[in-house]
Amino acid sequence: MTGLRSFKHIGFFLIFVFGFVAIGSAAEKDAERYAPVYTEPLTSRSLKDPLSALLELPFRLIKYPMDKGLIFTENHRLDKKTLWVYERMVEKGFTPLLGGSETTLIPYYGGEFNLMAIAKQKEKYPDFIATATIMHGPTAFFLVGSEVGAQRIAGTGLHAGGLFQYHMREKEPFYGIGPKTSRGEGTSFKMETTQLTANAGYNFSPSIDLSGAFTYRNVNITNREHDGKGDITKIFANEVIPGLNGERLLSYEAALSRDTRDSRDQASKGSYQKFLFKYTDGTDHSSARYFTYLVDMAKYFQIASPRRVLVPRFFMEYNQQIDGGTVPFFEMAKLGSSGTFPTRSQTARAFVYNRFYAEGAMLLNLEYRYTVMQYKDFKLNTALFVDEGQVFSDFGKIAMKYFKTSYGVGFYLSYAKTTLLAFSVAHGNEGTQFYIDNKIAF
Amino acid sequence: MMRKSRVLKKIGLGIGGGLLCFAAVAPVLLAREAGEIKTNPETFYSEFFEQSFYDEGVNLLDFGRWGRKIFRQEIPSANVNVFDEVPDSSFFTNRHGRKRLSAEEIEKGYRENNGPDLSQPLRVIEAEQRGIYPRFWVKDAQDEEYLLEFDPQIALDLSTGAELVASRFYYALGYHVPQYTPLFFNPDQIQAVSAAMTWEDTGFKKPLTQKRLMEYLLVLPQNAQGLYRASAQKIPQGEKKGPFSFEKRRKDDPEDIVNHRDRREIRALGIFASWLNHFDLCETSTQDFLVHEGGQNVLKHYLMDFNGALGATREGPKDPMLGHEHAVDYGETLKTMFLLGFREKPWQKKWREDKEIVPGSPAVGYFTNQYFDPAGYKTFFPYESLRMATRADGFWAAKLLADFSDADIRAAVKAGEYENPEDAEAIAKTLIERRDIIVRHWFSCSSPLDQFESSGGRLSFKDLAVEKGFESGDGTLYRAEIFTQGKKGKKIAELEAREPLLALDPSWTAAGSGVRVILRTLRPSSKKPGPAVEILLNADGVQGIRHED
Repeated sequence: MTGLRSFKHIGFFLIFVFGFVAIGSAAEKDAERYAPVYTEPLTSRSLKDPLSALLELPFRLIKYPMDKGLIFTENHRLDKKTLWVYERMVEKGFTPLLGGSETTLIPYYGGEFNLMAIAKQKEKYPDFIATATIMHGPTAFFLVGSEVGAQRIAGTGLHAGGLFQYHMREKEPFYGIGPKTSRGEGTSFKMETTQLTANAGYNFSPSIDLSGAFTYRNVNITNREHDGKGDITKIFANEVIPGLNGERLLSYEAALSRDTRDSRDQASKGSYQKFLFKYTDGTDHSSARYFTYLVDMAKYFQIASPRRVLVPRFFMEYNQQIDGGTVPFFEMAKLGSSGTFPTRSQTARAFVYNRFYAEGAMLLNLEYRYTVMQYKDFKLNTALFVDEGQVFSDFGKIAMKYFKTSYGVGFYLSYAKTTLLAFSVAHGNEGTQFYIDNKIAF
Repeated sequence: MMRKSRVLKKIGLGIGGGLLCFAAVAPVLLAREAGEIKTNPETFYSEFFEQSFYDEGVNLLDFGRWGRKIFRQEIPSANVNVFDEVPDSSFFTNRHGRKRLSAEEIEKGYRENNGPDLSQPLRVIEAEQRGIYPRFWVKDAQDEEYLLEFDPQIALDLSTGAELVASRFYYALGYHVPQYTPLFFNPDQIQAVSAAMTWEDTGFKKPLTQKRLMEYLLVLPQNAQGLYRASAQKIPQGEKKGPFSFEKRRKDDPEDIVNHRDRREIRALGIFASWLNHFDLCETSTQDFLVHEGGQNVLKHYLMDFNGALGATREGPKDPMLGHEHAVDYGETLKTMFLLGFREKPWQKKWREDKEIVPGSPAVGYFTNQYFDPAGYKTFFPYESLRMATRADGFWAAKLLADFSDADIRAAVKAGEYENPEDAEAIAKTLIERRDIIVRHWFSCSSPLDQFESSGGRLSFKDLAVEKGFESGDGTLYRAEIFTQGKKGKKIAELEAREPLLALDPSWTAAGSGVRVILRTLRPSSKKPGPAVEILLNADGVQGIRHED
């Protein structure tokens, strides 16, 4: 029995020893499996081949100061401080303005003073407007103006206001009147406009408005030659160009507008329509006397998704001479450029700003916009567009052959439906035009 | 100086020249003391510029990259050992993959203490307002420093839960993470010290008054007991040295020998991020700390800031595109541009199908597996190192993921202390499903054979795809080619087996000789055998393993 017990003990001992050895061996094997033993010595290798590294070198030199700038900006929260300063300025009544101008690559700058906010009366009279604006586009324009009024009178849809504005444009291009002008025969003129307007209207709903306005304008045309080009009267010696010496004009205007877009700047649905009728009469021996008829409408069709929007837009303006009166050339309908300032020149993107002047203009824009990148509130839209437009002296002279075609592509970067950067390139029979701006035409 | 391991001596036989390029083993110096280490000044803005614009541009001038793309060449990870594993380093310590952690250990995560000591009010020494939400740097009764981060409004548990849970997984996987603990407190348990400053969202730094501190708290959600909930990150000991790069090594750190781009554990971060839906994994969410360990200075590399994981972001539930597109994604943009916007991206489809509403509980956020693509997950920045993960790297990562059982995952999610158990279960369920999707993907495109052992003339191994239930063993064929050792090894035999066991001729591994076995798996569902795994054998057993990149 003792021997048997001894065997038992030996057996347990062996099991214990073998078990321990097995565990030890497993642990050792495990240690080996994760041991820092390599097939070759660990060395640092260059991330790129010498040629690729050499090619990158100039970019590194540019990157270095950019990195430093970005790090400084973030560490000192300069971006947040800037935004805060901007918001405080707006709150206190000053809104800085910056954007692209049509005749030069130099951006314009300026500001709008909200006089109600400055006088700390905004909360007390939220419907009242009192603003003063000053803008300067170097070599392009200078504008100073003021507007007073009420957006809503006595809680109704009634609104009324008044506007004073001085607007000086340094170099307004002019290429002659009519659809058959040549871009080579162009010059420019300086135009100073002093304007006084009184308006009143009624908002039937947030989207429908009927307004009337009475405007007095004093327009001076001077310096009708620039950059070595000749005076308008010499270049266009055989043509009658009304209003070359400026005009004093009185206008009576009625406009009905409807706007159901989800955003003015980056609309993806809805539509707008504007119908305008205006009677303009010259004063002080002026021969100017005409009616203006204007229709501007666009519809934003979603193609099965808000990310795909097709926008057809139709625009027509006609200035009809009455009682043997004339239409001053600077008041005529105009086509050319991106049309982000629609009161001046309408969207015909393969053509330079103010390329075509005439009593009437007809324009069809077709633009397909689709979102190609979206990250939170940032959105990049691509736009494919065609612009078809022509100017005419009267409706009977509209002809297919005078339609001017532009086609091209645009890229619109926006944040929370506000355009940050719009880049477009358009091609037509007068070449290719590029545009960089912080707004889009429609 | 490191010792030469026994393995090293064994492998010093000089076996080499295989298809997968085994070479002679060389010793590596480890644990050399870090000297003067510069602080990396990189910030989020500089990283945004570098990753989204600069690198994407200059990559086009990288001929090596073009060559690799055209000829479909991969750069193998450079820091794997002879057994195709990642040895422990200041970046990574094999934990759950090496020795299974218990459910309690997983739930606990990295732990130095039990979190902030609330026996006295927490002292806020610094604060920052980001958007409307604050975060506080506090000191507790023990004078330990913590960073407190909170949930967004109407989504209690969302961001703090994501941070607590994701930190558990990263730690169990092997990364260095700070200690994260949940903290519940009332307004009486927090106060601003007199010298405390705060970065307001206006960009200006101002003194932090008690009144301002209370104003900050007003925007934070409270639980049913009226307590504020935070994830408390214990600030690691050591000197901050800035974030580490996912691409370049630190030249001033003698231990940092391999380019980070070529480190397997860095490449695999993209795969782990896809599992945890950690879209904002970025360099500036990492931090190096110079610590004194074992009598010398060592630079330890930490992953931090996980409140963008699972279904969360700092501001609320994840936006639908997160994880599907980089912040600036040229490829997606160009594809959509050329297809005139008529291509519906997977996230757009998913969002449309969800009726443009985040489904489920606010505490879970937007975290589902619908249209989840394990090979197509995209982090905020397009890191080249994450894109360079090879099949072998993917297999390694998948193997680690497969080691997490359903119970392990539930244990980690438990650390999130979700108020509603259904929220925890929903997150765990999504993680379990997503683990399976990822593991299935990587096991199918790499060789899932592992744990090779050789004894008594037999080479046994495990088919992890079969073992984990992703493939059926029925009909699977293991095809081996046997080569003699040496640079131009001669094929001496071909073997086939239905079971993960190969019978070898004892003469092949007789004393002084060895063989190279190239093993492939042929599944009944596939006509072509899968990628190879190469095993070096001699009389002492398995001497090396390499999965095909």
